[in-house]
Amino acid sequence: MRTPRPLAVAATIAALTTTLALTACGGGGGGGTTGVLSFNNANCGPSWQLAGPGWHTFELRNDNTVGGEVDLIDPSSGAIYAEIAGFGPGTITPMTLDVGSGTYAFRCLFQDADPMTGPAVTVPGDAKGAAAILPVTYNDLIPLAKQYQGYVGTGLATLARQVATEDGDVRSGDLAAARRDWLTAHLTYQTLGAAYDAFGNFDDEIDGRADALGVNNPNWTGFYRLEYGLWHGQSAAELKPVAGTLTTDVDKLLASWPSQEIPLIDIGLRAHEIMENALEFQLTGHDDYGSGTTLATAVANIAGTRELLAVLHPLLVSRYPGLSSAYSWLDRLQVLLEKQHLPNGQWVPVSALSGSARQSIDAAGGQAVEELAPIASITEPRNS
Amino acid sequence: MGEQPGRRAFLRGMAGGVAGGVVAGGIAGTAGGYAYAAGRPDPATAADATVIQGRLPAVPFHGGYQAGIRPAPQRQTAVVSFTATADGRAELTDLFRTVTERARFLTAGGTPPPAGIGGPPSDSGTLGPAVEPDGLTVTLGVGSTLFDDRYGLAALRPAHLVPMRAFPNDNLDPAQSGGDLVLQLSAGNADTVLHALRDIAKHTRGGMQVNWRIDGFSSPARPAGTVPRNSMGFMDGIANPDTSSQREMDSLVWVQPGAQGEPGWAAGGSYFVVRLIRMLIEFWDRVDILEQENMFGRRRDTGFPLDADGIFAAPDYTADPTGEVIPLTAHIRLANPRTPATASSRILRRAYNYDRGVDQVGDLDTGLIFTCFQQDIKRQFETVQTRLIDEPLVDYISPFGGGYFLAVPGVRDASDYFGRALLA
Repeated sequence: MRTPRPLAVAATIAALTTTLALTACGGGGGGGTTGVLSFNNANCGPSWQLAGPGWHTFELRNDNTVGGEVDLIDPSSGAIYAEIAGFGPGTITPMTLDVGSGTYAFRCLFQDADPMTGPAVTVPGDAKGAAAILPVTYNDLIPLAKQYQGYVGTGLATLARQVATEDGDVRSGDLAAARRDWLTAHLTYQTLGAAYDAFGNFDDEIDGRADALGVNNPNWTGFYRLEYGLWHGQSAAELKPVAGTLTTDVDKLLASWPSQEIPLIDIGLRAHEIMENALEFQLTGHDDYGSGTTLATAVANIAGTRELLAVLHPLLVSRYPGLSSAYSWLDRLQVLLEKQHLPNGQWVPVSALSGSARQSIDAAGGQAVEELAPIASITEPRNS
Repeated sequence: MGEQPGRRAFLRGMAGGVAGGVVAGGIAGTAGGYAYAAGRPDPATAADATVIQGRLPAVPFHGGYQAGIRPAPQRQTAVVSFTATADGRAELTDLFRTVTERARFLTAGGTPPPAGIGGPPSDSGTLGPAVEPDGLTVTLGVGSTLFDDRYGLAALRPAHLVPMRAFPNDNLDPAQSGGDLVLQLSAGNADTVLHALRDIAKHTRGGMQVNWRIDGFSSPARPAGTVPRNSMGFMDGIANPDTSSQREMDSLVWVQPGAQGEPGWAAGGSYFVVRLIRMLIEFWDRVDILEQENMFGRRRDTGFPLDADGIFAAPDYTADPTGEVIPLTAHIRLANPRTPATASSRILRRAYNYDRGVDQVGDLDTGLIFTCFQQDIKRQFETVQTRLIDEPLVDYISPFGGGYFLAVPGVRDASDYFGRALLA
């Protein structure tokens, strides 16, 4: 989740050089050919005709002097069947679709121009084709981002109290209490996964890994640094500055949070990226600096994902048929993970899992991210 | 290499089955030493240029037997073992259906459906916008552990399906042995194999989890018209049952309907033994050629038995009862003594080379993915392997993994799926 994809639509309209000029590969499909369809500043495509439904490849040529986006839509609802973003001037781009019976129109969003809609075309018969999805707009996402921002703000306030407790443990020399309270605070932080980019440098300071620095580097700070010391016999005196820095950094983040903004596109992206990171760093045990609690971290990541899904639910419920499956695989993963939470409160480290327990966890985690991944495409903010 | 009578005979034998006049190696494969049999036209025999372009034709997926068993080794393969993580019988059935659907598409080729704005691309795109069949075959096997108490299949376990036995001199690693399921993916090119594995894994993440995987290759025949070599420099397995003979396949390879003790669903399947065998090639390369040839019983350069002038000539052990020419301990002699009593122990051998980097002391980790198909593991593979115990070659090899499986019967048509008769 630390490598956000390029901003969608609005930001990429200017970035036309990425368009691939695919070789024209003919029309074909059940309904015959539609030839090369020309799009320009006056017309969002000509009228076209298909004898019947079936797989079809439209060939779209941008005869405008600027780039933009062309969608094939259901003109009655504005729902999108297919889109070509970054449609460069002079290029021909194929658009392949399982065309069903119904009414279609192209819609153009050329740079610096008002949206245009081309002629509505009816494909005869009563065959079902690919489904259209109602686009999610920036306006749809703004209130959801505010809602999520509030969740994070509340989480950060809780976190600040928890790291203060932790700091007190270390100062008083009670390292047993410090180990317990470390986990509580770290799990809180790990439920805020959609906001890490908005945290900026704070995320590295609060939850950075030792990978690039080495565990003995004084510039390594945060939860993992503290974990390493608490579970490698370092003294309270040695850890006091580490805990103090963590407290200071969290306080600074909390203070700055009201002026931070979560990019709208992140809300949907993080729906799978939080768990992608859980698979890469927690289910592998990579981020175990001694406490053996990466499976607990993964449970916290599930909680963070559920929060995002709750926020996005109004948009997803009508757009994503796989939503219930995503929930059920998260449920299954969580049940499997919680089986590794022992009655004495300890978590089984990944390295001590039985082979079959680990395989079941990895399988459920893998299926969960497959089910979550489409949410990013569906909720990518689009102009409408 | 000069013209040899035996080789010319081989070429004549192949002429009917090879398009374009180029004989690629590996044809009717090859195990412990039987008459070389020309198979039906086979993607593995196509011209190298065709292979390189990924243009091998589709191998028909539907049929009573799995399509990947009869053809000779293809240029590339992957053998992948899985644990079934499906929760209960219904999910296991879904898993088998999904593997079937993906295999049906991947082996036929075609254009993957676009995802529109509803999700990431449906295909990895590594084969370009349209998937070429490239001769892909997908062979699915089930291991004995699938018949434990998880899926209620215990009463349906194939009669001869047991965990793989360790033989003396084996060095088996549990992490590279066994599995509830095995997939062998073979095709003309490595990208085709990897694309197929990636696609199947993407569609089955919740249902099965990889245990171990090994990639292999079959070399071009060198010289042309001979048989591919293993990493010891010897042609690997020159004789095999005649895969074009239904009678021979029915007596040696396919589980027969009504076979004693076999559940009905297994008919048309074939027991699939996989042995992963490291070759200690640094040591081997320090061995005198005469000693090497005596260990195999063949000439390294020509592939001829030590007592004959032709790759496919049968050695005459009755004329050499004390092993003056071909030692009694030679690999080909122990593996296939060519007596009426040992004829029923013959296997359909399908070996691939593997090469996967280096070990901790910098030696090459290379060797053989030995696979074979048969009707009865005890009567065939284990009998052959028992004869080979303590053969001189064991000093230069180290079997470290693999497993026993049953390659399930074929998928008959568009409404059928792998294991339907087992699961329905």
